[in-house]
Amino acid sequence: MNKKGASSRYLDRVGWLMIAPAIILYATFNLYPILSSLGMVTRKWQGMRSTYIGLGNFARMLNDRIFWQSLGHNFLFMGIQIPIMIMLALILAAILNDVRHGRGTLRTIFFLPCVTSLVAYSVLFRMLFQTNGLLNNLLMKLDLIQSPIGWLNDPTWAKATIMIALTWRWTGYNMVFFIVGMQNISNEIFEAAEVDGANKRQQFFRITLPLLRPVILFSLVTSISGTMQLLDEPNVLTWEGGPANATMTAALYIYRQAFVLNSDFGYAAALSYIVVIITASFAFIQMRLLGRRDQ
Amino acid sequence: MKRVLFALIVIAVVFVAVPSLSAADAKTLTVWCWDPNFNGYSMKEAAAVYNKSHPEVKIQILDVPENIEGKIEAGLQAGGAGLPDIALFQDYVIEKFILNYPNAFVDLKAAGVDYSKFAAYKLGPMTEGNKIYGIPFDTGSTGLWLRADYIKAAGLNPDSYQKNMTWQDVINLGVAIKAKGGKPLLAYDTTSFDTLRIMVQSTGTQFFNKDGSLNLRTPAMEKSLTILKELNDKGLLYNAEGWNNWVSAFNNGETVGLLNAIWIIGTLKSQQANAGKWMAVPTPRIENVQGARNASNNGGSSWYVFSSSKNKTVAVDFLKSVWASSTPDALNFYNTILKGAGAMGTYLPSRSGSNYTAPDEFFYKQQPVYKDFAAWMENVPTLLYTPNYVAMRDAVKNAILLMFKGDLKTVSDTIAHAEAEYKQVTGR
Repeated sequence: MNKKGASSRYLDRVGWLMIAPAIILYATFNLYPILSSLGMVTRKWQGMRSTYIGLGNFARMLNDRIFWQSLGHNFLFMGIQIPIMIMLALILAAILNDVRHGRGTLRTIFFLPCVTSLVAYSVLFRMLFQTNGLLNNLLMKLDLIQSPIGWLNDPTWAKATIMIALTWRWTGYNMVFFIVGMQNISNEIFEAAEVDGANKRQQFFRITLPLLRPVILFSLVTSISGTMQLLDEPNVLTWEGGPANATMTAALYIYRQAFVLNSDFGYAAALSYIVVIITASFAFIQMRLLGRRDQ
Repeated sequence: MKRVLFALIVIAVVFVAVPSLSAADAKTLTVWCWDPNFNGYSMKEAAAVYNKSHPEVKIQILDVPENIEGKIEAGLQAGGAGLPDIALFQDYVIEKFILNYPNAFVDLKAAGVDYSKFAAYKLGPMTEGNKIYGIPFDTGSTGLWLRADYIKAAGLNPDSYQKNMTWQDVINLGVAIKAKGGKPLLAYDTTSFDTLRIMVQSTGTQFFNKDGSLNLRTPAMEKSLTILKELNDKGLLYNAEGWNNWVSAFNNGETVGLLNAIWIIGTLKSQQANAGKWMAVPTPRIENVQGARNASNNGGSSWYVFSSSKNKTVAVDFLKSVWASSTPDALNFYNTILKGAGAMGTYLPSRSGSNYTAPDEFFYKQQPVYKDFAAWMENVPTLLYTPNYVAMRDAVKNAILLMFKGDLKTVSDTIAHAEAEYKQVTGR
């Protein structure tokens, strides 16, 4: 008993030692900036000038329709793009799980988009989606549309373009989790189901899906927090949230307030706390959902 | 064990080497700019000139193509850590840096730079009270670039358009060419503010009042938007999304022309197939607006020395003796970068250089375009940017896009929309 306690203390010490570098780096580069940004939210902080304005930044925020619109775009992307992407990823995973030859190659192909350089992919997407680009030319040749679609120019279509780009980039990433999840489901369960006369469809909906629930929830959590922080695509693909702010997101707007517009770090910090609160409450709800299953 | 030893050696080397590197020779100047074929090239030429008399100074030019302002902002927040000695700033962003970061830059007027020799309009943004912080680099003197062959094909004489035109003349020209089955008159980048900015600045009207408040309800603004709307409604604009599409529109002959600054010349010349076809005419004038003239400006940037630099004296001496000097070497330098990169400086004595007046084979009837743009530069009015220029720019640009789409019906609605967005974004 005594011995075990000693060894566990020893293990603790080694354990702490091992994670110490990570903790120190995290504290220096994450925790400290986060805490010190709290001091900024009550100030008008532009460059090196700063004055105390109490809740002034929050009062300004209430009247800032562009910010709330941007936040709305985050929710819009979330509500439409994530379900489509998860469904696609599930279908692909189910297909790839059954494929016998070249599974590795196919998996790599589907996974590649999420490790592709952001700039390279945005440039390619711009070329595909521009008014006289490949996509419009193809659709016109096939007589599916009469006149070119403003994929990047039209406020509504630009939103669709962002969602298409996101789906292209992240479906394969989620698919890999689902494949791993599926492979972890014991074959005996399927065999038993087969003996009981369940067809493939029933097996998928009654066995695979329920057993994948934790993996799907994990995908949802990461996708939602990823979409809350969405910045790159609207910044590069649609020219800084264009056309006319139609694809502006909260994170991009915060970035612009600090680094593109008038160095308004205080206001940007205040806005980012709103996003943090929203993201944190999402995470909380999702963790509750995940936790329920574990019990 | 060997590996541990190796790791220790690496760590030791890094710790010993890094401080000695950063404390390197006090005579190394670092310069940040963003285009190796344009401003980077020019700085390199300047360094070569300086090294003739100061071989001991090493001038290191770094190309920072992405987000240079964000990087500088981060460095200034950190009290100058990681910043170069000299950096290039767009004229439209520098007021924000001067105001938000007091004492971040070296006062070059106090250091003895003779500013009377620079184009006057360049000095506005870099001046604060009695202090002047920058060395003006290139001009964004604008003109209307037109394809002489397209004008001819429509049965018109290109030579008769080489004069000071009004926008009405230009619209008539566009309509006439279009009526003959020709291309749209102008390539227009829907993600850019350039066209409207050129139009409004040509009248000397400001986007801001002296106290920094927004000033969009002006005759110049209303007239410019009306002209833009007419151009768009009559199908005289080729709407391109983004810089690359915009460039390929006019370089591939999809339009009769474009409205932009002298620095676009390198892009035009990159399409050698168009040799002999282009000509440049003065920026069109807006009728019935006070102060309107046939000259304007778009873009342009200037060099600044950071106060945090350890080599301030050397940096200032370098800029002063090459960029702001009338020695034969310095004047020859301006002449070189004009030919080498199409970089037209704003140091007035340099305009005597042979490359300024030389006929240019690339242009219709060998037009000496540099001479023309340099002459127009003299009439460019100073623009007041204020730290909120980008917020204003984007709000107006967005409103124009919605006007073109038909969501905003009138010019007045368009201005109102821009004013509202500006207020939201800046909180003032």
